[in-house]
Amino acid sequence: MTEYPDHETDRSAAPDGELDTCIEFALNGVKQTVRVAANAILLDVLRNNHGCNGVRGSCERGVCGACTVLVDDLPVASCSTFAFSIDGASVETVEGLAAPDGALSPQQRAFSECGGFQCGFCTSGMLMLTTGLLRQDPQPDRGTIREWISSNTCRCTGYEMILESVERAAELTGETNGESA
Amino acid sequence: MRIQALGAGLVAQTQFAMAPFRLHRPTTIEDALAIVSEHPDAVIAAGCSDLVAQIREGCAPNTLVSLQKVDALRAISHEAGVLHIGPMVTHHMGATDETVGTAIPDLAAAWASIATVRIRYTATVGGNLMARRYRYEMPLLLGALGADLVFDAGALSRPVASLWADSGTDQRGLLTDITVRTDDLVWFGYERSMRPTATVALAVRRNPDGTLQVRAQSGSEYRHGFALTADTGARELDPLEVSAQLAQQLPDDCADYTGSAEYRRHLVRVLTRRLLTAACAQLKGTTTR
Repeated sequence: MTEYPDHETDRSAAPDGELDTCIEFALNGVKQTVRVAANAILLDVLRNNHGCNGVRGSCERGVCGACTVLVDDLPVASCSTFAFSIDGASVETVEGLAAPDGALSPQQRAFSECGGFQCGFCTSGMLMLTTGLLRQDPQPDRGTIREWISSNTCRCTGYEMILESVERAAELTGETNGESA
Repeated sequence: MRIQALGAGLVAQTQFAMAPFRLHRPTTIEDALAIVSEHPDAVIAAGCSDLVAQIREGCAPNTLVSLQKVDALRAISHEAGVLHIGPMVTHHMGATDETVGTAIPDLAAAWASIATVRIRYTATVGGNLMARRYRYEMPLLLGALGADLVFDAGALSRPVASLWADSGTDQRGLLTDITVRTDDLVWFGYERSMRPTATVALAVRRNPDGTLQVRAQSGSEYRHGFALTADTGARELDPLEVSAQLAQQLPDDCADYTGSAEYRRHLVRVLTRRLLTAACAQLKGTTTR
């Protein structure tokens, strides 16, 4: 019996120059192998194929940052990222922040404590930006936080509380790491 | 909702729609050149932060060549008085690279000031240049430095100013290197405090006879950069005189709806004077930037 390649998961079945391609990536720590259209956008793949509705679509130009996810620990605008470009990468969305038992991450607790959101639309992007920042700089000063947070837009203009939330997230992350050390 | 049909070959009811294309992902410069040669109308993709916007705006490539896997295009080196910057170098890489920081420290500092943290991790110098958006700043920084754009692994070399002079069809090919001479460079600075109305990048070089020449690039959000040059004929800079000389060269079509040509000349005179004053101070050893 002839064995045909599995076109959904067989990478060799997606040769160069095709209208679609097969990619492998880790989504919130879970390996995924999917076939995507060459022109597929990461935001759409995450929302439509993987149910990551915490990734917000807004400006579609990489400006507002509501769609921010982490790709290999770096903040990326998923609305302006082709899905093919995450082949081999680790992608993290806001859905991956909380523990499996539902316990909030230090960043989420900090935003909740400090009221770092109003309408909440920008919050998932802000949380991912905060997560990326604290991985690079666990104790950022206010200037650094301001520089990072200025990557994203909060239409409610609650920036002061967001700044405080990031500072609190750094404290909570330090405490959590200290406890686990 | 807006209708987006311009050249896309489809009518999309929203900006979410993306024109389909065939994807090529070479891993070497040679392979990339071969694909581009085979598909002369191919669109070249670097960091893609601008390209996705272009496609949403109606650009409809049949073939897209992603350079993401061509590691050789991320190289940075400084050899024989020339800084080489690979077009796939991201803004973050360039701004924090030790070679760039040693060769032209103020280029690294200026590079770190553009865009946002998130965009700097993704966007590349090659994409910033080849997008030919007036508001992008790498054409200003590299234009003032007199950088050359090397296409097709050395087959063609063009100054940065050619981005505005050539039409899209005149400048086909693959950007493979960006070169900046550093052997005669004595100072470089960038003033963006008046962005988006006016920005100025300025480089001072020393001629073989010891006199100084100044090359500036003035830009704004809405008009392409203009090159301004002054061969001072002197070994020291006179900020007042040279800034006036540079600003005077701005043509009338530097005006846009945010300011007249006269206003823009005034701004450029002020910004270049600031930069030249800083250059003078550093050259005299009274301060360092």
